[in-house]
Amino acid sequence: MNDLKVMPAPRNVDIAITGKCNLACQYCFYADEMVARTNLPTERWLSFFDELGRLGVMRVCLTGGEVFTRPDLFELIDRIIANRMRYSLLSNGTMITEKTLAQFAIDKRRQRLDSIQISVDGSSADVHDLSRPKSFGRALRGLKLLKEAGFPVTVRVTVNRHNVDDLENVAHLLLDEVGLPSFSTNEAYACGATDRTEGNIILTQAQRKQAMEVLTLLAEKYDHRISATAGPLIQAQEMKTMDEMMARGLSSRTAGGYLSACGGVFNKIAVNHDGTIVPCHILSTLVLGTIDEDSLQEVWLNHPIMNSLRERMTTPLNTLSTCQDCSYQGFCTGGCPGGALYFNGDYNSRNPMDCYRVLKNEDPFFSLTDKPNSVDR
Amino acid sequence: MTTVVATCFLRNPDVVLREEDPEEGALLFNPDTNQVKVINTTGLFIWQQCGKARTLDEIIAEVKKGFDDVPAEQVAQDVQEFVDGMLASGFIGSLETKG
Repeated sequence: MNDLKVMPAPRNVDIAITGKCNLACQYCFYADEMVARTNLPTERWLSFFDELGRLGVMRVCLTGGEVFTRPDLFELIDRIIANRMRYSLLSNGTMITEKTLAQFAIDKRRQRLDSIQISVDGSSADVHDLSRPKSFGRALRGLKLLKEAGFPVTVRVTVNRHNVDDLENVAHLLLDEVGLPSFSTNEAYACGATDRTEGNIILTQAQRKQAMEVLTLLAEKYDHRISATAGPLIQAQEMKTMDEMMARGLSSRTAGGYLSACGGVFNKIAVNHDGTIVPCHILSTLVLGTIDEDSLQEVWLNHPIMNSLRERMTTPLNTLSTCQDCSYQGFCTGGCPGGALYFNGDYNSRNPMDCYRVLKNEDPFFSLTDKPNSVDR
Repeated sequence: MTTVVATCFLRNPDVVLREEDPEEGALLFNPDTNQVKVINTTGLFIWQQCGKARTLDEIIAEVKKGFDDVPAEQVAQDVQEFVDGMLASGFIGSLETKG
């Protein structure tokens, strides 16, 4: 590969420690064929954490499935701690009780915890439960328990068709009533369970535009306590920046003009609950190896798919047929490779969900039916 | 009556060393405090010296040997500052030997 510098080992590893979940969310990326795979036994995870420790990995993010369905969760956490790492947890919050919190008081479990992220998708059961069935009350109870006990709790709101009209209420609930310092947003993505829910969960173009406007206003109203690294809010912010720069006569921004959107492959890698190593959970079908059978460092440094994903950074957008005549090219970074793979079968292509022309309704990619999942991919 | 004979410095065993770009130095990560410290090649040399308990004078002597192009007085001052910083932020600890 060219002269892109790659560290000898990832700093962070995202690990789905279970495919089991007590919910069946409408947009879960970790669904269907993923759930059918077998969970690894405790011993294999413990030995993997030892390998991460030897490599000097700094942080792991444990996800699933639902992490609290694993009865050995704290045994796994203790081995992570013993291997000099910090950790974070992604959870639906429904299984968190006082008893759970007491478990964190042991040794360094609380000290090494970066965050517990709970998913909240509505201000009431009527909305939240449409995408996350029968879970609002228990999720909110778990969230409040964590908040009251002073845990580093965060919330992710996944914007979708069911809650796009409820965002103001969600912000009020989380920031005013629960009193969180902030929360983050993204949007239901085209992968996993969204295949089975067809066009019923992913935002239409009109709804995405609505979400972009509403979230921008709410972020201002709440003094930027609402954030995003993907989805409508960041799309709105980036588009505003682009429009302002273009109005000043500028034609590009740093890293624009290349497929440079995702830097994840330069500092982290992911593992599925069956032990398969993948670049990212959004790219969970790109299997690079299996833990205990393949060296993680070898996969990290030398797997052709990892290096190919890194080389996206040097792929000019003007080499893509979809982007050659685009006037926004100098501001665009191509979007998440997961969406590109899903829609085009090629991660070295533009992701239409992040395309400025699509967002501005100048490209009809989604507009024929207004149902992203029903387009001919 | 016991008196302190010498103060030795030793790595915090929980700290992770990552040599991401050996030409530039390294990164130290303290998972207990979530602190990251980027160190240059001299800092990395001192870190390596602290693999076993060393007094400040011993560390300074080793740095003088390893980096003979730096004035001796400057070495002593720089090592002292570096060790003080590392100690304050918990990347290394100190041991007092008593006689």
